[in-house]
Amino acid sequence: MSDSLIELRNISKFYGNIIALTGVSTTVNPGEVTCVLGDNGAGKSTFIKILAGVHQHDEGELLLEGEEVKFSSPRAALAAGIATVYQDLAMVPLMSVWRNFFLGAEPTRGFGPFRQIDIEKAKQIAKEQLAEMGIDIRDTEQPVGTLSGGERQSVAIARASYFGARVLILDEPTSALGVKQSGVVLRRIVEARDRGLAVIFITHNPNHAYPVGDRFVILNRGHSMGNFAKEDISQAELTQMMAGGAELEALQHELATH
Amino acid sequence: MAADTAGGADERLAYRGPIQQLLTRPEIGALLGLAGVWLLFWLTSEAFGTAGGTANFLDVAALLGIMAVPVALLMIGGEFDLSSGAMTGATAIFVILMSREVGELGGAGFSLHLAVPLSLCFALAIGWFNGTLVERTSLPSFIVTLGTFFILIGAKLGFGKLFTNKVIVEGLDEAQGYEFWDDIFGAEWIRNQHIWDGRDWAWAGLLVLAGVALLLGLLEMSYTRRPDPPPWAAAGSFIGAVAVPLFGFVMLLTTDGTAANWLWGAVIAAGTLAGVSIWCSSRYERVHRRRTPPDSRTMRMIGIGVGAVVVAVVLALVMDATNSDQLGFLGGGLGRAIFAIGIAGTGVLAALAATGHVRSSAPVIGVVVALLPAISFMMTVQAARALLFGGLAVAGVVALMLVAARTGLSLWLPMATAAIVAVAAFVVQAESESRKLRVELFSVLLLIALALAATAAARALAQRRSTAVPVPQMGLWPRVAAAAGGAAAVVFAVIELIDGDGLLYALSTGVAKGGAIALGIFALGTFYRLLFSSDEGMGRPLVTVGLAAAGLALAVKLMFITTLEEEATQAVTRFRVSVLFYLLFAAIGAWVLAKTRFGSWTFAVGGNKDAARSVGVPAARTKTTLFMLVSVCAWVAGMLIAFRLNSVQANVGDGNEFRYIIVAVVGGNLLTGGYGSAIGAGIGALIWGMISQGIGFARWNTDWRFLVLGGLLVVAVIVNNYVRQRAERSQAARGDPDDDEPPGGDADAADESVSAGAEP
Repeated sequence: MSDSLIELRNISKFYGNIIALTGVSTTVNPGEVTCVLGDNGAGKSTFIKILAGVHQHDEGELLLEGEEVKFSSPRAALAAGIATVYQDLAMVPLMSVWRNFFLGAEPTRGFGPFRQIDIEKAKQIAKEQLAEMGIDIRDTEQPVGTLSGGERQSVAIARASYFGARVLILDEPTSALGVKQSGVVLRRIVEARDRGLAVIFITHNPNHAYPVGDRFVILNRGHSMGNFAKEDISQAELTQMMAGGAELEALQHELATH
Repeated sequence: MAADTAGGADERLAYRGPIQQLLTRPEIGALLGLAGVWLLFWLTSEAFGTAGGTANFLDVAALLGIMAVPVALLMIGGEFDLSSGAMTGATAIFVILMSREVGELGGAGFSLHLAVPLSLCFALAIGWFNGTLVERTSLPSFIVTLGTFFILIGAKLGFGKLFTNKVIVEGLDEAQGYEFWDDIFGAEWIRNQHIWDGRDWAWAGLLVLAGVALLLGLLEMSYTRRPDPPPWAAAGSFIGAVAVPLFGFVMLLTTDGTAANWLWGAVIAAGTLAGVSIWCSSRYERVHRRRTPPDSRTMRMIGIGVGAVVVAVVLALVMDATNSDQLGFLGGGLGRAIFAIGIAGTGVLAALAATGHVRSSAPVIGVVVALLPAISFMMTVQAARALLFGGLAVAGVVALMLVAARTGLSLWLPMATAAIVAVAAFVVQAESESRKLRVELFSVLLLIALALAATAAARALAQRRSTAVPVPQMGLWPRVAAAAGGAAAVVFAVIELIDGDGLLYALSTGVAKGGAIALGIFALGTFYRLLFSSDEGMGRPLVTVGLAAAGLALAVKLMFITTLEEEATQAVTRFRVSVLFYLLFAAIGAWVLAKTRFGSWTFAVGGNKDAARSVGVPAARTKTTLFMLVSVCAWVAGMLIAFRLNSVQANVGDGNEFRYIIVAVVGGNLLTGGYGSAIGAGIGALIWGMISQGIGFARWNTDWRFLVLGGLLVVAVIVNNYVRQRAERSQAARGDPDDDEPPGGDADAADESVSAGAEP
């Protein structure tokens, strides 16, 4: 396991006296999709925010290629090749598509105090990358606020897969999408995996997770419920574990008796 | 070409003409306001439009603009700095206290070579303190900087009195190294010492160049090019479009008489129209358009338009241009009665509106009635005349142009409009006693008529563009121009330095001369490519040449004086160095916002800070840098204040922070952050300067100054907001139809901007 790209050992995170995450361990390998599943409040968001550098873990170890790291900011995580598609898409609505695409990592030309953004290059790359995602933006100058929800999602994913040199994290990318659009996103995940990226896919929908996942981390109330390879677990088991097993059985029983 | 598509050109995008593109800029409202305010005071006051008047309002605008630009940047970044006003005075007092002799009470006794950099460090420290405190505590910057504001006020008075026992701190000119720093912060350009008899020729030549370049640039941007333009036509039309009007222009300048004016005006018009016609029919695709006969509504609009222009001209001639008495038509009991009726009416209408009996805008009627007596006391006869003339003329021409646009841009209506304006110009110049009307208004009206006629001719002849303009391929020209201009700038600057002129004078003359050379080479290259290559997209370089030439023309006219003028005038006109800082900062601010990563980050932290941080923008660092930017500019403003009078009062700058914010809002910056422009803030400062000085120039009753200022600012902000909303709507309409979240909270922003404008 020492050749994993990222290894987490007993990661814990506290917000004051609230235990958001405790003792979570898993490994993330290139060319694999690691699914993080859990119900609302299970700690999924905290989990990815630690990986993305938004928060820092309080206990445990985060190993990047075998070396212990702690990302001080999202910038540091990005520099390590970890890009994230946040649930809220992290877009600035009044800014243009290309500015959003390159925000925080603008290509520049010139030197010293005269360094400026290479606008033509940025627009061209943004247009190409978005075309690859299957959305053809008419004008990369148009504000992101004027795009539809699906288009915005595609911009966010295209941005992350362009900058995520090694690891691509997707936080609930399918939660707001229709069936067809979800299918498109799942295909992107598989494509990214086939390009050799390590993909971390956060969802509360086992129907989306099971077909694309290679490894499943199930969280419940901040605890890890286990870390399974695909061959060790069936979709039904996955669903049951996610909802906290016994509770779902009780519910089924309750519904059956009515 | 690959580069052609790089700019995002897409066949599904409807092409937007240069006017529509301009209308989507955040500073467009401010730009229109600037033109309106300038026009009003130029028509009202003899002195306002002269170099002396310009120096006067530029001076006010400059000190305001130096601060408004960074404050606008900070506002775009989503924060305020209420300590910015007090900070200007604080750095000024700091530098004087540091450099004063160690006496009984005394200062620190440092040389200015130490004290000035020390005061910069002091300013940086305040900015850093503000920024870090806002970031660390996550408190609103409003509260944090309010604290700094009071700290600074207290420190200014406290330390000032501690060291000098007076509320005024003085004696900067006794400090060591004063000459060197006075050369930078206290320099002046005394116009009367710069006599240049060739000025008018240089000025007129540049103006013609500007006119030609702008007209050709607009045509180039608006119309579709033919694949095979016959080469002879270009040369022919060029002679028509440049040589004949130039000749007419020169003749017009050298003669003063009704007959000569008629003659040379006709020559200019004929040359321009012939040139534009040949150029358009040979270079652009021909237009095929059917004509629609005008309906009754159109005819009514035309009647209103023509009537307005005619009434404007009659009023201009009838009312006395030199009468600076108050109007006073609603004096005594009548005025008081009308005032009372207005106030009562407002209250009653407001009550009715609140209960839903009348429209919610009805109370405005009451306010207008109540304001009538006030206007009659405030306004002079000449001001009312200017207001009526300007308003009616602009309204008439706009009405006619709107009709022309609605009825499919037929040729005769815009041409008729142009003719009406031209006739108005000749009538005004022939009948008027005032030199201002005879020469200046005549030229301006003639220019408007020419522009209207030329664009109408072009519209009738050429096919409108339907696809986006490709990125222009200028090749080596811009670089050659920049290199030659830069080299020349250095050479000229060194020559002036050796001559023993001040550092700043040497630098600015060097830059001006180098800039002129660069402009010349760039203009040559642009015209060469326009005439002798098949390159597309020459519109933008042409407009650049036009604007640069117009700016240079204005600068030449303002900075130099002819022997004749020098003999005739007693007043000395001084341009202070603050104007240079103001232009420089506005340019840097615009460049930073549009072109650099820091600019992108500024928009991002103001628009959505969490998102910006999540995708790797160093949000805290960006905001702290913005606060420090404000404090650096406050330092520059403080130095300018200190070296102007060599003494500083303890309360200097206090309260100015609200002016900076208002000026930034007038310039199109959103109070909630994430949207705006640095140039807009610069323009806003100019508007403020013009209004606050113009009221005095027009010899209006200055007791009403703040009422006028406040009212005009509210109007400016409302117009600005309206224009921006329209622009955003047209932009959103180009986006997805099922778009669920239009950008910006328009309604909220409108309320906020208005209340901010009303505050002072």
